[in-house]
Amino acid sequence: MARFIIRSLVSTFITLIIVSVALFLLLEVGSGDITVKILGVFSTPEQRASYRNQLGLDDPVYLRYIDWLIGNEWRAERQVGFDLVTAPNPQTGEDTWWADVDGQLIRWSLEEGELMKLVRQEDGSTVASLADAVWTTDEGGQESFWGVDDKNNAVKWVRGEGAEVWVLTKAGLRKEGDGPQDYIPLRKGLIRGDAGKSLQYGRPVSVTLWPRVRNTLVLAGVAFLVVMPLALIFGIIAGINEGKPIDRFISVTSLGATATPEFVTGIFLILIFGIWLQWLPAVAIFTSADAIFENPALLALPVLTLTAVELGYVIRMTRASMVEVMGSPYIRTAILKGMPYWRVVARHAVRNALMAPITIIMLHVNWLIGGVVVVETIFGYPGLGKYIFDAAIFGDVNAVEAAAMLTVIIAVLTRILGDLAYTFLNPRIRYA
Amino acid sequence: MAVAQPTAGAVPSQAPSRWAKMWKSLSIIFESRIATVGMVLVLFWVILGLISLVWTPYPPNASEFTQNLPPNTTNWLGTDHLGRDILSRLMVGTQVILLKTRLPWGGLVFPIGVAIWGVIGSVLVGAFLGLNAGYRGGWWDQVTMQFLDALIAFPVIVLYLVVIAALGQGDLVVILAITVTGAPGVARLVRSLALDIKTRDYIRAAETRGESPWYVMFVEILPNARGPLIVDSMLRVGYAIFAIGTLGFLGIGLPPPDPDWGNMVNEARKNIFSNQWAVVWPSVAIASLVIGLNLFADGLREELTRYQK
Repeated sequence: MARFIIRSLVSTFITLIIVSVALFLLLEVGSGDITVKILGVFSTPEQRASYRNQLGLDDPVYLRYIDWLIGNEWRAERQVGFDLVTAPNPQTGEDTWWADVDGQLIRWSLEEGELMKLVRQEDGSTVASLADAVWTTDEGGQESFWGVDDKNNAVKWVRGEGAEVWVLTKAGLRKEGDGPQDYIPLRKGLIRGDAGKSLQYGRPVSVTLWPRVRNTLVLAGVAFLVVMPLALIFGIIAGINEGKPIDRFISVTSLGATATPEFVTGIFLILIFGIWLQWLPAVAIFTSADAIFENPALLALPVLTLTAVELGYVIRMTRASMVEVMGSPYIRTAILKGMPYWRVVARHAVRNALMAPITIIMLHVNWLIGGVVVVETIFGYPGLGKYIFDAAIFGDVNAVEAAAMLTVIIAVLTRILGDLAYTFLNPRIRYA
Repeated sequence: MAVAQPTAGAVPSQAPSRWAKMWKSLSIIFESRIATVGMVLVLFWVILGLISLVWTPYPPNASEFTQNLPPNTTNWLGTDHLGRDILSRLMVGTQVILLKTRLPWGGLVFPIGVAIWGVIGSVLVGAFLGLNAGYRGGWWDQVTMQFLDALIAFPVIVLYLVVIAALGQGDLVVILAITVTGAPGVARLVRSLALDIKTRDYIRAAETRGESPWYVMFVEILPNARGPLIVDSMLRVGYAIFAIGTLGFLGIGLPPPDPDWGNMVNEARKNIFSNQWAVVWPSVAIASLVIGLNLFADGLREELTRYQK
């Protein structure tokens, strides 16, 4: 068993690497010039070039992948010459980057040709003063300095040649003189828990992702709680009445539910409950972050839609498994020896019949994620699915990668859990 | 059947003719009521699509009528938000799924639709990978399965979104997306079948004759795995139509000008308060075609496995 788990974990790790590389390459090929999407179609080529440089997109793709995976402060440290460390921003709690110069956390900025140094105080504020003469001269006689700027980049300033850079602010692009010539956006890398900054929102991915994950977990969790008992009951009823009208009815209905795409089910439910009967809200508009807890009615239609699709699938699995078990010799023996019918069903049949559906449900999570994307898009529900959809359409590499890693981990973990559950339920199976 | 009559002549007819054989394998469909119902549903759409190649009630893309009309005698299924006849658009909508693929070069059109090419692609790729993994075993198996595990763990919808975001909208891109997402499942199925079939005596015989591994895989194993593979492909065509509908609904499916069912639903849902019919018809179309394929595959599987028990 231990060997099985270790092998699964190694395989999961390889899977994650393959998926992340594939995604990185696809988005690299596909998203085109991402700066057009961020800055808008009316931005000038200079503005785009400047912004590309600020995002570090001029680096080759393999370097950016390594940055994304294991971080890049080791690369920047070689240039800066000091240890680069993170300290939390007192307002947001998000990590900010500083150079550790003899125990002082320092950033620099270039103002009117003079290099200023910003020393971080205990409370998170900074004190500015003129920086010491730190310019290094290269062979060409150019004086330059690598330091950390106030936007978490390792940057290269050249003395007397403050570049004109375009800075994206809330009010739009602003041109600034005295800018750096080269940027390395500092990051810790995914394996150290930093998923990078979302290109779409300009905030760290982790900050924007978790509320969405929570919303989706609530949606999927409630749907799961509704689906499971109903599916098992209907599946068992259909299974023990194989061929009778009630079985035909349940089978045909569940086939219809499975074969109807989520968006069709969702729209019909909106039509019936949202428009004709006006019982339930037709869209899930979040007026606050905790809207689903304040007004659970918002959840009703999304959950119902997910349920309709999943229910049919699980019913069909349970029914098939139940039919198979009911035809087996040991059930016949139990009935022939005079055991009450309901006891045969409850004690002997159901236990064995539930094995297949339980493991299949575990394998089904992947598919559920696809359903969640559609359901969240229909109802405007701010969850993980809509996050992935928006990020993929935008070409937001960091966000897509983080969300995809999460879904892959969920899919793989549930698969391993399914395998383990199967060994528990069916002692005849052993994993070497 | 009249066509089943072998032509009288020099050929001695000890073996049943080709037509008779085909009829025999087709007649299995009619043994099962479920499969027959499924086939009728599928044929209904295929025939409607074939008719639409030569005739539709009105031009599918022309705004000729008042907008958002309910069903009436002129427009049997009503009109959409641009005043286009929904029946014509529904009929033409079958073409891109089942009957034709539009190539990006010079408006060329290729026969057989996107959903079916996608499944053919995933069966070809999946069979190749699965046969190699199952028959050769060892490293082939390890590496292939690891690769397929990665693909299976990949959330399908993310794969679709990213592939389409990367390569742009187009019929060929959708085919590629369906191929990539379908191939792992086919490969797993073929691998398990190959593992079973390769223990048979006729494989041993072929190996002893000195046949190459490729011959054994594609001539000896693959034809013997065709039963489950065909049933699986039927189901996959259903999934593919499902996926195309979903992509169309999300607005990133098959490109215009040809109407796409999923996209029709997506556009009509914006006017759902004033006109419910425009949403209902394409939804029913997708659901009925997918249900038809599901029933067909289920019935076929039941008939095929009946004698194996």
